[in-house]
Amino acid sequence: MSGTLPRLAAGAAAAGAGQATAWPGGPAAAVGALQAALAAEHAAVYGYGVAGAHLSGARQRAAARDWRIHQASRDALAAMITALGSQPVAAAAAYRLPFRVSTGRAAVMLAAFLEDRVAAAYLGVVALSEARLRLFGARALESAALRATGWRGQTLAFPGLEAPAPGPVPAGPGASQPAPSAPAPGPSTPGPSSPGPASQSPPPTGPAGA
Amino acid sequence: MVREATRRGVLAAVMSLPLVATGCKGVGALGTPPRPQPDVAVVRDAIDAETLMISRYNAVLAAVPALAGSLDPLLQQHREHLARLRARLIEPKERPSTVAASPAGVPGTPGAARAYLRHAEQAAAQALLGKLTAAPPSLAQLLASIAASEATHALVLGPGRAA
Repeated sequence: MSGTLPRLAAGAAAAGAGQATAWPGGPAAAVGALQAALAAEHAAVYGYGVAGAHLSGARQRAAARDWRIHQASRDALAAMITALGSQPVAAAAAYRLPFRVSTGRAAVMLAAFLEDRVAAAYLGVVALSEARLRLFGARALESAALRATGWRGQTLAFPGLEAPAPGPVPAGPGASQPAPSAPAPGPSTPGPSSPGPASQSPPPTGPAGA
Repeated sequence: MVREATRRGVLAAVMSLPLVATGCKGVGALGTPPRPQPDVAVVRDAIDAETLMISRYNAVLAAVPALAGSLDPLLQQHREHLARLRARLIEPKERPSTVAASPAGVPGTPGAARAYLRHAEQAAAQALLGKLTAAPPSLAQLLASIAASEATHALVLGPGRAA
């Protein structure tokens, strides 16, 4: 059964293929990169649901907040892909987790892992030739890196390009932090100086579903 | 035969490259040296920015040694940024840096020093994003990744974070 489940890393693997060596242009390249980002957002929405189930208090609220951000990003990407005349990729019914998640600490590391993968997927969007999409990808990458730092308690030298091995790590600063602060707007709220590629709404503020 | 001639042509072209790259006077006979590609200028700017950031961290660490524990990991990541950027350029190492070795106006208290670095990180990240569209794809990815890293540095340098 588990052999048929897509892995949570699927979206990032597709994004890795999107790291181009030549100027990619045209809607086909854009759709491919956006679909990879969408796949990663689908996986993140699923993964935060798992993570939230193993968290409590401030950490669960943080997971619910990030879960909503990824939902909003997912919807924005789907709208962008539809606007480009393509059918957005659908979410899988379930995903295989990168490691066993049965404790709060593992859930925190899962959240960091999800953000690493989302960051890698948006790096594929950064490789596109269209300036608007490139900036959109860069801002989304930054937002994912900020959330990952909130969960992990540590920064990375090359978010999206290089990630630590997935899995619960030895107790570090991240393991002792009460909760990630809300560092950043999601990728769904591009700054006023750079109009986003789609009209995107801020993350919904409804009740957490995780 | 044609293939052989082509290979020689390529070889000759490759052999002449170091002359051009080093700006040897002999190259004058070959005509005007080619202008650097736009992305070379982007990489040089990014190298200068990283060099400046590292000198800021060093200046802060000299003024407030107690911050070493929290700043060393960030400084190390800036060194990684710089190494990765430098690997993108093939040019004489002796290129004169336009960056001041010791930045002025470094605060002497931990809180002010962290704020100083936080603002520098934010400005550096923003500057890199401004260069994105001038870069070919793989360089744009590196710049975006470094910008994201610097944004996370600014986050952990924030006032709510322990030193």
